[in-house]
Amino acid sequence: MTSATSEGFVLEGERSSLRQIVTDVWRCRPLLLMLSKKDFFVKYRRASFGMLWAVGLPALQAVVLAIVFSRFVRFETAVPYGTFVFAGILPWSYFSSSLGTASTSIVDGQNLATKVYFPRAILPLAVLGANFYGFLPAVAVLVATALVTGVSLGPELLYLIPACVLMVLLTAGFALVLSALHVYFRDVRYVLAAALVAWMYGTPVIYPLTRLGGVLQDIIKANPTTGMVELFRASIGAADPGWEGAVAWSVGWTAALWLAAAVLHRRHDRVFVDLL
Amino acid sequence: MSAARTGPVVELTDVGKCYTKYDDAPMLLSRALRFRPGTKRSQRWAIRHVDLGVERSETVGVIGRNGSGKSTMLRMLAGVTAPTEGRVAVRGSVAPLISVGVGFHPELTGRENIYVNGTVLGMTRQEIDERVESIIEFAEIPDFIDTPVKFYSSGMFVRLGFSVAVSAHPAVLLVDEVLAVGDIAFQIKSFERMRNMKDAGSTILVVSHNLNAIRNLCDRVVVLHDGAVEFVGGTDEALSVYHDVLDRAALHDDGGSGAAAVITTARIVGDDGTTTSHVRAGEEAVLEVGARFNRAVDSPAFSIVLTTESGVPVYIDSTYLTGTRRFEAGEEATCRIRFAARLTTGSYTVRCGLRWDDQGEGQVTSRPLLFYVSGRPMVSGAADLGAVFEIDGGPGGSQPEPDQQEMPPFASNS
Repeated sequence: MTSATSEGFVLEGERSSLRQIVTDVWRCRPLLLMLSKKDFFVKYRRASFGMLWAVGLPALQAVVLAIVFSRFVRFETAVPYGTFVFAGILPWSYFSSSLGTASTSIVDGQNLATKVYFPRAILPLAVLGANFYGFLPAVAVLVATALVTGVSLGPELLYLIPACVLMVLLTAGFALVLSALHVYFRDVRYVLAAALVAWMYGTPVIYPLTRLGGVLQDIIKANPTTGMVELFRASIGAADPGWEGAVAWSVGWTAALWLAAAVLHRRHDRVFVDLL
Repeated sequence: MSAARTGPVVELTDVGKCYTKYDDAPMLLSRALRFRPGTKRSQRWAIRHVDLGVERSETVGVIGRNGSGKSTMLRMLAGVTAPTEGRVAVRGSVAPLISVGVGFHPELTGRENIYVNGTVLGMTRQEIDERVESIIEFAEIPDFIDTPVKFYSSGMFVRLGFSVAVSAHPAVLLVDEVLAVGDIAFQIKSFERMRNMKDAGSTILVVSHNLNAIRNLCDRVVVLHDGAVEFVGGTDEALSVYHDVLDRAALHDDGGSGAAAVITTARIVGDDGTTTSHVRAGEEAVLEVGARFNRAVDSPAFSIVLTTESGVPVYIDSTYLTGTRRFEAGEEATCRIRFAARLTTGSYTVRCGLRWDDQGEGQVTSRPLLFYVSGRPMVSGAADLGAVFEIDGGPGGSQPEPDQQEMPPFASNS
């Protein structure tokens, strides 16, 4: 038996200890894996193209954006513009679609959450897991696109590994904080939906950082998602100068978010249910 | 699940759970802007000062009216919510008997859902692999196991849910109002399965409004009322206490203020002349009704309506044809209705009605009185016809064994 309650438990007071939550999340990793798999497969089960959509959607988005922006605005990029946009849209769509679902996941999971105990953090994390299943093949498509469009790939490709780690940790930080807040303030989903639209344009997804100057560039660099996108760009040799600074910002944001998540979940993990 | 451990498996010590109720949604905006200073909140103790210990291999029922704190208690035992004060301790694994389809995804097949649900309950992949066939067999859905569960009937849903939950071999099984669905054959089967689990050392907690299920399964019953333990003890006594609680809560139907008559009191009178809600099977019971007449009424009819817990009429009688007498304005009258409680063990409701002709027809009904009949647990049905089985032949032509067949545990006595 591997569940948070398989050894029994003692509850005194409404706070949990952080160590207990971390232990329980670790013990519940088969559950995390199972929920991720379930979410992923269920999502595409009824679609005739099935899991192709996991790759197809970001690819289509990239194509549309590439066509639109190469017609109206010309950006100077180190690699062909389409590939450039694809490398940006991949982590971005992972981030935005994960957050959209994960922020409401504790509330949406109430059927399960009111019956069985497991650390509530499992619910947003499972969303990230599910999206990661679709993300992996899309990365392969990105590499293929880069090759086809004549980008010469080198050892920078290894940046993909820290890029994925940063992307998942950053998204998880936001997801853990927002899903907890959403239990108390149901406005979170709407605020987030509105914010994500603007947020994409505040992240160098469709334009290079170099296009901006001065203070504006510094502000965009401080955006938590900029470093994440730039690290992906770096892997196909298309990073903008000064991208290391943006990555440092992203790492800093990630740490701060995880700290906030720890505080929130420690206080509320066992009582989220009372408001569901 | 080590068997050697001693001490209660489930232990609640001075447990209280307080919910903060927001009268308005806790709006970030109104709070931040002091738009409406201090969102109105009220605090409510769902349960408080509850102590309870449940031993290994024990089956304990929890009954109480809606809002008495049953669900809160069960949630804490599942570890889903934490107590505001006091201490909840559970030794060993807990599995909730997941209510209809919870955790089942409609798009997934039965088999896939077994894996998801099994994992939720803490089974490892290997454990599920080993048990999946017996789960399917027990749920009686081999033909549908690879069909998405959205095509399942509600009975199939429940069977599968039950089957998965019990296969997790939990030390503590929490049963929450689940088993009322499903046909009688499956009910008997699941009842047996729960008994086997109990014999194997599992502790079972049942929360239900189905008093027959409680009576058939439980060694002990906890009666919750207004968030406090009203009674803990033997099943019959607990059910009787529960009926008192229900009875206190029942409402009057006074037929409107302009009626010619009102029923002022209604009670079941025990042997010693006190109010009771406990009647022994086969013995005489007395329903005593007090009426006050606001106007003079000629020969009103008193009636008695006795129904089962689920509302099925068992006995209806009145003085409609025999007639009564004239009652003067302002008169207070008492009517005692004696009847033989030839009923099987279970809960019944009795009401008294009063009808008269008074410039058109008028009638009032007393509040329904709930009472519990004890003493004939081995027969089922509503009425106790006292069947005698005479079987001829056989060596010595001895008296046949009394009918020992178990009644379906969750069937209501209708």
